[in-house]
Amino acid sequence: MKIEEIVKILKAKEIFIPEEIKDFDIEYAGASDLMSDVLAFSRENMFLITGLASPQTITTAAVIGAKGIIFARGKEIPNKVIEIAKEFEITLISTKLSMLMVCVVLHNSGIKDAMGTERELE
Amino acid sequence: MMFEQKNDVDKLVESLSKIFSKTSIEDVMTKPPIIVTEETRVQQAKDIMRVKMISGMPVINRNLSLRGIISIEDIIKVFEKGKLNDPVGKWMTKNTFYLNKDDTIMKFLELNEKRKFGRYPVVNNDMRVVGVVTKLDILEWLFKKLGYIYVHDKIRFDTLNKNYISSITEENTDTNTLDYKLKINYNNVEMIGLGATKLKKFLTDKNIDKDLVRRISIAAYEAEANVVIHSESEGNIFCWIKDDHIKLVIEDFGKGIEDLELAFKEGFSTAQEHVREKGFGAGMGIPNMKRFSDRMTLISSSNKGVKLEMLFFFKNKED
Repeated sequence: MKIEEIVKILKAKEIFIPEEIKDFDIEYAGASDLMSDVLAFSRENMFLITGLASPQTITTAAVIGAKGIIFARGKEIPNKVIEIAKEFEITLISTKLSMLMVCVVLHNSGIKDAMGTERELE
Repeated sequence: MMFEQKNDVDKLVESLSKIFSKTSIEDVMTKPPIIVTEETRVQQAKDIMRVKMISGMPVINRNLSLRGIISIEDIIKVFEKGKLNDPVGKWMTKNTFYLNKDDTIMKFLELNEKRKFGRYPVVNNDMRVVGVVTKLDILEWLFKKLGYIYVHDKIRFDTLNKNYISSITEENTDTNTLDYKLKINYNNVEMIGLGATKLKKFLTDKNIDKDLVRRISIAAYEAEANVVIHSESEGNIFCWIKDDHIKLVIEDFGKGIEDLELAFKEGFSTAQEHVREKGFGAGMGIPNMKRFSDRMTLISSSNKGVKLEMLFFFKNKED
């Protein structure tokens, strides 16, 4: 799924959209406010859904090789955070939806779990 | 205990026996060996053993070849006869069991099961004694391999303050040869992760395998977070790029870890509320570092700082 479409279905605000993400096919996402969990159970090229708008969110995304971050619950994103995201070329969008709703909408649209836990349901 | 599930124990045993059959005695033995010649007087041998606090020594001839072993039991016999001025050669145990330096630990275990000797001389292919191996050597080596080192005594504290010698590789942490160094800013929780991201950039620029870089940066991130959150001291990240692995050493000089066993548990944390608000303090730091590194050694005790070493092997070399 393209970033443009994700922005649309989440009714999200674009905060930082680097040029290279526009053609990228987004396949995986994961949701957590706990950065250690993100570090432990992550996947390259994923999108991170979180309510945590701190510099650590960006640096965590940077080390795991995430492509972007979706901030839920309409979080205010400090300028400092945006600056760091620009440095690491990490896409930032923000939506008023709760974390649960972001997950539901994305999953219904075909975005897969970065941790691959869908298997448990089979 | 650290291994709570049966599954873990099975895995441990399996990986250990693999290591046992791969590791040569040479890597484990004490060297150089403390030895005496056949001509040495028993009196003198006794004094050496007392000073060195050992219970036996290989006996060699003038060509440095193994002739036997003189043990405390032998010396007691000499005492009873009042023959302390006799040469060791007269009283030593001959036809001793020995190991070749190229034998594996497996061989030691097999031999030890049958013989129950305290120590075995180790010889090279010319039958010259090059070391001694005891059960204690094996145990010490094993603990190092497992990556758990508890530091509660002075000797270990001294090694912390000296030039740091890796417990895994026995190399000096030679800061002259290191490839990358970063200071960790410990005053600001918000700065967590900047060191790890810089390290990631550095490694990526060196064209190191992407997956490896990812593992290293995640482990470095956790280590950096630990220094900022827990140490209350400044810290450093050192990085060496070797032929077959990358080595990270993260050090701080802070309050240290009081209970290592607890710290290794997933979900255990002593982090304060303001840290948890930033998405940390989940008690995943050390478990994550273990998960993403190939070898990890952590040395710490209360108020003595933490020294953490992690090795990451290039693909195909380790498995």
